[in-house]
Amino acid sequence: MPPGAATAVPGAPPPFGTALANNLPLLLSGLVTTVSLSALALILALALGLVFGVLRITPLAPLRALGTVYVEFFRNTPLLVQTFFAYFGLPAVGVKLPGFTAAFLALGIYTGSFVAEVVRAGILSIGRGQLEAARALGLSYAQMMRHVVVPQAVATTVPPLGNLVIALVKNSSLASTIAVADLMYNGEIVNSRTFATYEIFGFVALCYLVLTLPMGGLVGALEHRLTRYRR
Amino acid sequence: MDLLYQQLLAPKKWSAFLDLGIWRFLWAGLSVTLQIAAASIVLSLILGLLLAVMRSSRLPVISWIAVVYIEVVRALPVLFMIFFTWVVASRAGLGLNLVGQASLALTIYTAAINAEIIRAGIASIERGQVEASRSLGMTYTQTMRYVVLPQALRRMVPAQVSQIITLIKDTSLAAVIGVGDLTRRAQIIYQSEFNPIQSLFVVALIYFAINYSLSLLTRRWELAIGGTVQAVGPSRDH
Repeated sequence: MPPGAATAVPGAPPPFGTALANNLPLLLSGLVTTVSLSALALILALALGLVFGVLRITPLAPLRALGTVYVEFFRNTPLLVQTFFAYFGLPAVGVKLPGFTAAFLALGIYTGSFVAEVVRAGILSIGRGQLEAARALGLSYAQMMRHVVVPQAVATTVPPLGNLVIALVKNSSLASTIAVADLMYNGEIVNSRTFATYEIFGFVALCYLVLTLPMGGLVGALEHRLTRYRR
Repeated sequence: MDLLYQQLLAPKKWSAFLDLGIWRFLWAGLSVTLQIAAASIVLSLILGLLLAVMRSSRLPVISWIAVVYIEVVRALPVLFMIFFTWVVASRAGLGLNLVGQASLALTIYTAAINAEIIRAGIASIERGQVEASRSLGMTYTQTMRYVVLPQALRRMVPAQVSQIITLIKDTSLAAVIGVGDLTRRAQIIYQSEFNPIQSLFVVALIYFAINYSLSLLTRRWELAIGGTVQAVGPSRDH
């Protein structure tokens, strides 16, 4: 028995930090899962958002309708229902997905509907007149993109996209409801084993804060910097 | 093809929804969902207002408490708040039932966002209006009551409604701690009827009907009043 343990009163709770120290590898592996799930879902969301955002402003009515249905349906229904659909519903039609893949699909598709709105707003923010004016002034297509379109499109889309990334990281915790061993899931497991709620949940909260708070600060700073030309 | 038909369209997968009892069962779930949402909306508005006032306080201690609350709570997942409240409330014996615990968790979370919306709404009123009211001899309270708040509240409506939409979606997380809300009841139905696709789809449509109507209302309101605040808050909290 180590010297420190000898003085412990039998039956008394172990000193603060013990439960955390003993389960740190499990919690950190959950953190890794949360980060990789978020990163992959973000790629899917950006791809879907770009496609459907453009669809929403095409002149072709059926394609536009498709974009509208996607955006309105997925952003107006709970992510939890979508996650359950991917995990419990799809096997009925022969698509049996592992939890991680189901969570990735649901999170990517859900967030994609918000990205599509940001993309649409970004494109619409540049008036047609500006493009015509740029060409009339003799700017080449590349110059027009470089000096007129991209700076404005980035300024309108990057801050909201940053906010969506934060929302996505937080929403990735719903993967725990279909037994994906992410930060939330492993946190619950350790909590129910050790009953050291404040210690374990405090650490889980700290991990989420470390993931999302700096990003929030970055978004705020970007917003300030990118919209400077408007003031 | 046959599998798709059997699983998606076959009458036996849908027949549960011909039974009035199922609809009564779902109706009860919807009323739980709306109860949680309503309680959280009202309570988080009060707490959010308090936080917004605290944040603009001249005493650094008070404004710091509000800032820390708002920033920390907004950075955490809603599901985390639900679990944490559930574990703490059950152990502390607060005498709250599961519906109360879910409402409490959503209130704690939504209050932080409401505080940001309220702050953005008040900040959107031009400084000149406040100065003009003060130079006309109005007190601070009168300025707030007759000049700032009537305009600010109107501009906050769209952000508030979009937060309510988020909140209604988030009430589904109560299902995870065992509250018999709409989502939980969809699960109960498909566990006995073996129709997860149909049950989840029907429930999704109910959420959609409520939230889409709300979003249409906001759009009309935005058109009607012209300027609205794009609060920094809601966008990162779906």
